[in-house]
Amino acid sequence: MDALIEKLKGQIIEQLNLAEVKPEEINPDSPLFGEGLGLDSIDALELIVLLEKHYGIKIQDPKDGKTIFQSLRTMAEYIKSQGKS
Amino acid sequence: MSQKVYITGLGMISAIGNNVPESFLSLTQSKTGIGKIHHLTTRYKDEFLAGEIKLSNSELADLVKDNNPALNRNSYIAMLAAKEAVINSGIDTTDGLRTGVISSTTVAGMSKTELYYKELFEKDDHLDVLDTHDCGDSTERIADYLGNVDYVTTISTACSSAANAIMLGCRMIKHGQLDRVVVGGVDALSKFTFNGFNTLMILDREWCKPFDENRKGLNLGEGAAFVVIEGENALNLRKGKALAEIIGYANTNDAYHQTASSPEGYGATMAIQQALEMSGLKPTDVDYINMHGTGTPNNDLSESKATIAVFGNQVPKFSSTKAFTGHTLAAAASIEAVISVLSLQNSMIFPNLNFTTPIIETGLIPETKLVNIPLNTILSNSFGFGGNCSSLLFKKV
Amino acid sequence: MVKAYINGTGCISPQNSIDSEWFFDDVNPAKGDYFDAIEPSYKEFIAPNLLRRMGRAIKMGVAAGNIAIQQADVKKVDAIITGTGLGCFEDSERFLLAILNNDEQFLTPTSFIQSTHNTVGSQIALIMKCHDYNFTYVHRGFSFESTLQDALMLFAEGKETILIGGIEEHTPNFIILNRKAHKFQVQNPDNPIWKSTTPGIQLSEGTAFFVLNKTKTEKSIARVDGIQTLYKPKTSDDIWNKLQAFLKLHDLTLSDIDVTLMGFSGDVNFDSKLQELLPAIEKESVAACYKNICGEYHTASAFAMWTGTKLIEKQSLPKALAISDKSPSRIKHVLIMNQYLGINYSFMLLSQC
Repeated sequence: MDALIEKLKGQIIEQLNLAEVKPEEINPDSPLFGEGLGLDSIDALELIVLLEKHYGIKIQDPKDGKTIFQSLRTMAEYIKSQGKS
Repeated sequence: MSQKVYITGLGMISAIGNNVPESFLSLTQSKTGIGKIHHLTTRYKDEFLAGEIKLSNSELADLVKDNNPALNRNSYIAMLAAKEAVINSGIDTTDGLRTGVISSTTVAGMSKTELYYKELFEKDDHLDVLDTHDCGDSTERIADYLGNVDYVTTISTACSSAANAIMLGCRMIKHGQLDRVVVGGVDALSKFTFNGFNTLMILDREWCKPFDENRKGLNLGEGAAFVVIEGENALNLRKGKALAEIIGYANTNDAYHQTASSPEGYGATMAIQQALEMSGLKPTDVDYINMHGTGTPNNDLSESKATIAVFGNQVPKFSSTKAFTGHTLAAAASIEAVISVLSLQNSMIFPNLNFTTPIIETGLIPETKLVNIPLNTILSNSFGFGGNCSSLLFKKV
Repeated sequence: MVKAYINGTGCISPQNSIDSEWFFDDVNPAKGDYFDAIEPSYKEFIAPNLLRRMGRAIKMGVAAGNIAIQQADVKKVDAIITGTGLGCFEDSERFLLAILNNDEQFLTPTSFIQSTHNTVGSQIALIMKCHDYNFTYVHRGFSFESTLQDALMLFAEGKETILIGGIEEHTPNFIILNRKAHKFQVQNPDNPIWKSTTPGIQLSEGTAFFVLNKTKTEKSIARVDGIQTLYKPKTSDDIWNKLQAFLKLHDLTLSDIDVTLMGFSGDVNFDSKLQELLPAIEKESVAACYKNICGEYHTASAFAMWTGTKLIEKQSLPKALAISDKSPSRIKHVLIMNQYLGINYSFMLLSQC
């Protein structure tokens, strides 16, 4: 799980162009949206594509993102649960 | 400064018809133009629906009677709709009065650029797309097609574009800078916009359901619509006939999010209120609202809330006609201006297709059948990316 | 007739115009057949969470707008009006190439969202929380002119403070393709821009923003008296006649114009009418040019207006812009005569205030 979280950190920083953010600054349990990393609805759509591109997971309803993208850990758990890590 | 501005000519091409009479027939028969994709090249053509104009580029070229290879779909449809409006109005651009063309578009020549872009680096065959890709191209094509045009400009404020073209035309007449203006908007369907809206996950795979609790998103359409607007002085001079009066307009910005509308519809509320204020009318004077009503979860809820904020528990009859045409982006507001004038002229409200269940939060119910009812005043809303909100008010003459 | 006061300017161009002290000294030549804008460090002007998504046009526009607002020292504006010929071309190209290279798969929305022409105007509205009038003009060589025309109408309608600006960016691919289409020529000091005999421009980019005010304040640098556009004038006589009428409207004649900034682009096919008019202009005014230092783009007239404002402020015509040895004894009125592709012509009149 930890390896997957580390990998995700790098992928998120790249996909969302978070040039100012270092991987070690992201707490796996902090919220990704609002506070924490401060991502917004456009980033949620970017993360949906990230899952499709890197993990072959297709999300059809953007509303599903709300639970999946709560934190890095929930995201990693979701990828595991889909058997795609 | 305060001379009245009238609509005196209508022109329109979209999925529901190649001209105004065909469009009117589709509207009265509740016949949507949205269906399987035929002309657009996309790997998703069997997965999504679209409101395409039912003519190929070569068929359009024949209608325009111009085989200039530099013309693209955007220009063809713009030229056709603008010409129809001018013929319908009966104006003569050679009579010495000052005529303007104010058009609007979002992706302009993209439908052609995207076909040849990669090839441009290898071959020299289609380098002309470099000259026809930009937004000004179709506007100048219209101006040259009509002839004797003194003024041209082009607006791009996403899906509210044509409302702003109409508004600017009115203002230039009121300021005495032009006597009459051909105003409107155009957007040909492109892979670019199609994929863009798909990445935003706001395309419905079935027919869009504006204002329905279970709406999933919009269907893209394509089209062009122009209206001729004239100041009363110019109109009286030629003893022309007015079709409707433009009595109010407003442009505001939601300033909430780059693409989404604020949940309470702040910018939209202000646009409607300011347009009403300008006209001197009370909310209860509005007989019908042609809504922006794209069918996306966000827009329809936000617009419903703005409507309630302005009209309280006396919301006028309303419908969105996007389930007929699809969302035609820059052309939407001028297509809906043409539809609004047809409503005024024929005392008809065209239905909001595909609606079954009201949005739980607001409970608003649109007109779902053709309604025959005298109409004096129509409000038309258009909102776009970047928070652009515009409202127009039309009055029967 | 409504006039407007220029209370703040911000300009990003191929020159050091971002430095408020710079006055056309140490001029950068073209990089062969094109110019690149000199971009500032954007962190000073834009928050990092916004910056991460922005293409160059957006960054340049938001930064230049910010500089103009700071100079005018205003907290809010009553309207934001932008003009751009090609808009956010870099993002458009990025999204288009992603579509073409990946067969319409794995596409992300950011570049599509940012590709919309009204992105700069809407980003400024978002940052300033400006709910008022917001317009974007996208008509070739009239893109910036339309913003100014609109602003003057809005002042007559009662607005007090308005931000206007012109924005243009190019991309490496855009340069490659236009070069392939033979639209450029290498800048050559022996072929002065105002008497070029060969086709080709030097493509460029940049942004210039202005805070305009309806009434004069202690911040006012210069006054905008009027603007007019001409679409496809047939002959140089047409332009001349329209110019006389334009000046008459403002109770002026050409001899009152201390400097006439002329939009020679270096392409003989586009410049021929201005070349024909040059002797008559030089007879009664002092002619000067600007595209030799800012290059050619849809909204180069915004750079010209920034230049005109500077000339009035400093009361001097720098050598870099001069066409002849004639120098004005004072600079009370500046006329800008822009042209784009020999199709879109405009007059803008600036005065000392």
